[in-house]
Amino acid sequence: MARKRVSRRRFLELAGKGSILAAAASMFPRGVFAAPPSIKGPIKIGYGTVLSGTLAGYGEFHKMGALMAQDEINAKGGIAGQKVELEIRDATMKPDDAIKTARYFVDSWGADFLAGIDSSGQALALGPVMQQLDKVLIVTHAATEKLTEEWVFKKGVRQIFRICNATYHDGNAAAYVAKDLPAMRWATISPKYEYGFTCWKMFQDTLGKLKPGTTFQTESFAPAGTTDFRSHINTILDARPEGLYSTEWGGELITFVKQAAEAGLFEKVKHVLFPVGAAMDVLEGLGKEMPDDVWISGRYYFRYPDNQTNNEWVARFHKRWNHYPAYVSETAYSSLYALKAAVEKAGSKDTKPVIQALEGMELDTPAGRRLFRKEDHQAIYDVPWGKTKADPRYPIKIMGEQKLVPASITFARPPFEGPGTRPPF
Amino acid sequence: MQSIVHVVLAGLSNGMFIWLVASGLTLIFGVLGVLNFAHGSFYMLGAYVSFSLVRALSPHFYLAMLFGPLVVCLAGWAVERWFLRAVYRLELPYQLLLTFAFVLIFDNLVKIVWGAGALHPPPGLGPLEGSVEILGRKFPIYSLFVIAVGPLVALALWALLERTWIGRIVRAAASDREMAAALGVRVPALFTGVFIFGTWLGAVGGALAVPYVGVLTPGMGESIIIEAFIVAVLGGLGSLKGAFLGALVIGVLNAFGTRFFPAFDMALIFLLMAAVLLVRPRGLFGVARS
Amino acid sequence: MSPAAGSRRGARALSWAAAAALVALPLLSGKFATYLGVRVALLAIFGTGYNLLLGRTGLLSFGHGGFYAAGAYALGLCSLHLTAHPLPGLALALAAGAAAALVVGFFCIRASEVYFSMLTLAFGMLIFAVVWNAREITGGDDGLVGVMRAPIALGPLRLDIAGERAFYLLAVALLAGSLWLAHRLRRSPFGLTLAGIRENPVRAEFAGVPVRRYRLAAFVISGAYAGLAGGLEVLLESNARPTMAHWTHSAEPILVSLLGGLHSLLGPAVGSLAFVALREVVQRFTENWMLAFGVVLLVIILGFRGGIVGAVEAGLRARRAGRAAP
Repeated sequence: MARKRVSRRRFLELAGKGSILAAAASMFPRGVFAAPPSIKGPIKIGYGTVLSGTLAGYGEFHKMGALMAQDEINAKGGIAGQKVELEIRDATMKPDDAIKTARYFVDSWGADFLAGIDSSGQALALGPVMQQLDKVLIVTHAATEKLTEEWVFKKGVRQIFRICNATYHDGNAAAYVAKDLPAMRWATISPKYEYGFTCWKMFQDTLGKLKPGTTFQTESFAPAGTTDFRSHINTILDARPEGLYSTEWGGELITFVKQAAEAGLFEKVKHVLFPVGAAMDVLEGLGKEMPDDVWISGRYYFRYPDNQTNNEWVARFHKRWNHYPAYVSETAYSSLYALKAAVEKAGSKDTKPVIQALEGMELDTPAGRRLFRKEDHQAIYDVPWGKTKADPRYPIKIMGEQKLVPASITFARPPFEGPGTRPPF
Repeated sequence: MQSIVHVVLAGLSNGMFIWLVASGLTLIFGVLGVLNFAHGSFYMLGAYVSFSLVRALSPHFYLAMLFGPLVVCLAGWAVERWFLRAVYRLELPYQLLLTFAFVLIFDNLVKIVWGAGALHPPPGLGPLEGSVEILGRKFPIYSLFVIAVGPLVALALWALLERTWIGRIVRAAASDREMAAALGVRVPALFTGVFIFGTWLGAVGGALAVPYVGVLTPGMGESIIIEAFIVAVLGGLGSLKGAFLGALVIGVLNAFGTRFFPAFDMALIFLLMAAVLLVRPRGLFGVARS
Repeated sequence: MSPAAGSRRGARALSWAAAAALVALPLLSGKFATYLGVRVALLAIFGTGYNLLLGRTGLLSFGHGGFYAAGAYALGLCSLHLTAHPLPGLALALAAGAAAALVVGFFCIRASEVYFSMLTLAFGMLIFAVVWNAREITGGDDGLVGVMRAPIALGPLRLDIAGERAFYLLAVALLAGSLWLAHRLRRSPFGLTLAGIRENPVRAEFAGVPVRRYRLAAFVISGAYAGLAGGLEVLLESNARPTMAHWTHSAEPILVSLLGGLHSLLGPAVGSLAFVALREVVQRFTENWMLAFGVVLLVIILGFRGGIVGAVEAGLRARRAGRAAP
């Protein structure tokens, strides 16, 4: 199956050199413009996300964005004149399932590109696999900095790109927000796994340097699946910190916020940062129960940037799905457009030219202008931080006072130790 | 002092949830001799059905909590009548696998009916909303209510089994089903009844969890079932007294562990269970089954 | 030669041919099938060892994921820090699985029935918690990543297993070896004694059989199989992760043993094939694979208690009986 496709492609390459070019091109004119000779057949994109278990809601949000992009692109003539074919598969949250899904897409279904992936463990496990499969994977959710630092930058797995922001935003950028708050003693309740540990460490390192004298006195980590945060909350209340930083996310953040409100935590601790609190499932899930004046952010926020592209997209999204877009909806949607731009720029859907096209590419997306950094393939784009407040126009809390920490500053670790510490490190 | 009281309270309320789920589990095991993996699914179904009823009957949360678990009993009835009955005489692995199949089926059905995304109960559940101040720190009234419900259920169960003729029949069938059958007890019907009752207990746990946990997801039964297993085993399978005590210990210990020995919080309950079983191979109040 | 012996020999030749065809099939049907074939083989090794315990001894362990993880991390750590050569890694994986099983088994073996299951569950989850929390060594929940598949070098001989096909053949060879060993064990006095213990432990005890020691031996052997399978998975996927020790993973060998047939040598292997293939096929048609899979499980338990192998054997027996009758 795979071999057949290659031979067909090689035939066309040969044909392109010869006089059959005109005939071949005129045989397949589709869409707005005819496909360059090396792009033949539909563009097949395999999308792996979590569709079962407690986090399946994230998969549904991925799906909404990806389907919308597919339909819009196809309605306007496809990618380089070719139809987009999207298959979405349950990659669960487990690394072995993610690997199996990737192999299925490439080796069995014949995918040209891959996108999706939710957990950091999955993304890291896919490093060597993507190199072997030699297809481009655009990660739309997993946030571990090790993916782009270790696999892409240090070990040269050029096939992997990340379109969502990473732990830098949750750790470093949060520190930039925290440095302007009148709080010197910080504490955390965060997930008891690498993501939680890494972000808290970045936050401490960066804030400690931005504002010497800041102390980080208490940490209480909650294992995955925690439904009772009361003991964690008591730990924090006992320590009486001035600021609380928490990278809890999804359903666990919702449970935590509800229980923290009941325990009066938000009255005792005035400055609270939720780096992924602006996720749509959290905003919708908490509704008016989200306390006011909490600093939240995410991988995309539906009211930023306030421009035509984004506002129209949000309106279309809301009309079709009756939800405001979650950040994974935006990253899923934009990942398809990034592939479209890259394929059309490269004039090919082969891996190598597409990687070259993506490296350093700038792209206008609903989340604003993205730049795929050449060195580590991390997309650089800005997501604001904001203080929660109620708004009569929305059933959810939105960002009131906003603060923008440019990604160009924070997407390195640590962000201010001179050029040597930024990629290229 | 303030902190310790609050940690104990948190532990108690959490323990009472596990007790509600474990009580049905251990009752079913005690009488039917079946370890029911799908019990966590009944917890989940209890939460989902009650949630839907809250929406429909709003603001009558207590009505929903009463009727929701009854609806789930239908599922329990179907599972026992059509499937479980066929494997009573089989080895443990078959029973576990059969009930495990229902975990998969119910998880997926919930996803189809209610959607894959998490559901969130609306705030405002009548008189139990809000918190009271205990030693200068707020504690939710609803959790106090849960702490009160647990012992009440325990007391009611004890009275039912020890003080009524139904209880006597159930106990007779549990200790020797052949003898009970010979004495004219309709054992299959009795088993169905006990299973439905156990299902109801699990579903009530789920219904009560709706405002407590605040998030409903397909798969929410899977973590509580392991805790309930541990509690039931710790107390001695089939022993309601043991399960109640086990739930209290696990709940409070977990809360203390999280607060004071966070390095061990993932291992604590397993360590405790292993330690107890090594000293008492049949749990705290377990008896050898014939 | 009696006609019965002749037909038995014919049947044996036929089944060898069928096995060879089955082994060759993935190689002929593309990369993904080969990859799935490796996963089937690994699960089959895991299950075959496990069924020496469950099928032969009647002990239901919920902690074998822990031994699988022990093997996986042993190979991963060996490969990353000592040598990437797969042979010492696999030997270490096997030893780690056996050693972990020895320690856990020592504590668990005197418990019986459900309590044995729950104790093994507890120990398995303790291994899970240790692996999850020992971040410096194990990489925490990210796991050990980047284990490479180095060639097997034996003196001048170099066996390159980096390719899918070569690795598939290696996995199948190891599965064949595992099956052969399990076959020998089942037929040995040791295996027969285990079966006797399963049928009636009290009588075995009275007959002077050191029941606990026999059970422990079976437990350790199945742990070694689990360790080997875990090590091989690290070579396949190039990573080891804590969820390998989770009880949900410990449930997999139970599932495939029951699916294929608890009381036959080939049961777990056949069950593994069915398990992987079923999920793969169902997933192509519907997102709701859990529902479909649950229903299939129900059908197996209620309709084919001997598992797939049992059902096939019953079918063959019925045919033979039909032919024998005039």
